[in-house]
Amino acid sequence: MKLNINGYSNTILNNINFELKKNQNLIILGSNGAGKSTFAKVLSGIMPSKHVTIDNKQLHNLNAKSRTKYINYIPAKLEIFDEYITLDEYLNLSRLHTLLASKNMLKFLEIEHLKNKPCQQLSSGEQQLAMLATAVLHNAETTIFDEPTANLDPQKSRDVFSLLKSNLFQRKIIITHDLMLAYRLGYDVVYIKDGTISFFDSSEKFFNTLNLDHYFGSSVKIIDNFVLVNL
Amino acid sequence: MRYFIYILSLIVIAVAPFFGQISIEASNLYNPSTVDYKLFWDIRLPRVVVAFFAGAILALGGLVFQSLFKNPMSTPYTLGVASGSTLGVAFAIVFGFSSLLSLFGFLGALLTVIILFTLTFKLQSYETNALLLVGIALAFFYNAALMILFYLSDESQSFEIIRFTMGSVDVVGLENTLPITFAGLGLLLLTLFYKKEIKLLLTSNDYAYLKGVEVKKVNTILLIGVSVAVGICVSLTGPIGFVGLIIPHIVKTIYQKSAEQLMIPIFFYGGLFLVVSDLVARNLGSSSDIPIGILTAFLGGPFFIYLIMRKR
Repeated sequence: MKLNINGYSNTILNNINFELKKNQNLIILGSNGAGKSTFAKVLSGIMPSKHVTIDNKQLHNLNAKSRTKYINYIPAKLEIFDEYITLDEYLNLSRLHTLLASKNMLKFLEIEHLKNKPCQQLSSGEQQLAMLATAVLHNAETTIFDEPTANLDPQKSRDVFSLLKSNLFQRKIIITHDLMLAYRLGYDVVYIKDGTISFFDSSEKFFNTLNLDHYFGSSVKIIDNFVLVNL
Repeated sequence: MRYFIYILSLIVIAVAPFFGQISIEASNLYNPSTVDYKLFWDIRLPRVVVAFFAGAILALGGLVFQSLFKNPMSTPYTLGVASGSTLGVAFAIVFGFSSLLSLFGFLGALLTVIILFTLTFKLQSYETNALLLVGIALAFFYNAALMILFYLSDESQSFEIIRFTMGSVDVVGLENTLPITFAGLGLLLLTLFYKKEIKLLLTSNDYAYLKGVEVKKVNTILLIGVSVAVGICVSLTGPIGFVGLIIPHIVKTIYQKSAEQLMIPIFFYGGLFLVVSDLVARNLGSSSDIPIGILTAFLGGPFFIYLIMRKR
């Protein structure tokens, strides 16, 4: 499926034009406050807009049920009001276009023992894994991940990397500050700067020394296939 | 244990009509020529029925408001819906629409919900703090408007308004309990029908949206449903505060389950709470009944403060 935004602007974003071809995965980079999450919210329809089209159909005209088939967004932080909704209940709410049982997903992520624990009482890392589990269970054609490794220890980050690499998801759009993750995934890169798309090309082109110097000054280097941040 | 409490509560409700300043002989219940018969079927039983459904509506309405506005303090009362309804009823009393009290009460409630709703969507999200402040502002406004009505009213109208604002479940004749009975059962069915959507909305509006809930539509239907029921309830009983706040919190603390699984218990215990409160109000005073609204506010006020302290 083809995903487009044509001429979208709001207070944060400025004249966004963007097209993703079928099966094209994407990494979104950009400094804090550049508009990455806003971009994701527009794309997923949480911020309603007439400018987003999926296979030439306007997203906001789709009915609620078919919309879920196309797009899903995993926020950076778990937001849950009710203090007693358990992990298992939370996952089951997301079982939409899959035959997978939520208990298999819990086993896979090794969080089976937390099944009956209220989501609000999980640690932020556990919450992150729970949200990734909902993404698998939802199984939308496009899933947007907002900083999927932000709260994870190195081991768990690695697990999430292999999860993102696996074929459990269809198309992925990943917002991240984790340059190593971006580099190793190797997907095309969008760089958002001050509300506009200032770079949209392949991973190789983004991660070349000249380009990195342009976007990060001299603070990011690639040495022996590792992306290093010079503090 | 839970079933035991359920059964015990049912017994309390069943025997409640027998208690009062005049005792009733059970053997006279099927003998229409006795005073006991009239007292039981026309006064005591309607009272218990109204108390039960009023409590049930207020508690369940409170739960729905808390869930949709995502704030444990929002209930039809704290957001001014009941004050709106009270104002509507006072308006009807002063301007001679006494036969249309329910309609005016309902319109007052609906007007408030429309105001809240418009503001909510103007704010683009459910900024619950802003909304609570709006509720407080509305309450001040309605209070001022109520004062104007007092100023315009004659003595007997003033008395009628004052007595109304104290809250009461005095209803004579079983047929007059029908509207509130239907309102209560209707609200329960509506919330059960939208159980899945409510559960999704209990996480966050964004999550519900992404899982295919038409957030705005479902919110509108549920809030209007609650307002209709609360409007009918308040126009009949007057404002009875704090039930909508206390009961959901107590039931949630006991059951430790997400709100959408507790709709039936909250409905039931809300009803039970008012039946018992009315029982106390009827039997406490030596010469006349204490208005039930006063009793629940006495219990509810300290509890409200406790809740605020606990959240800090």
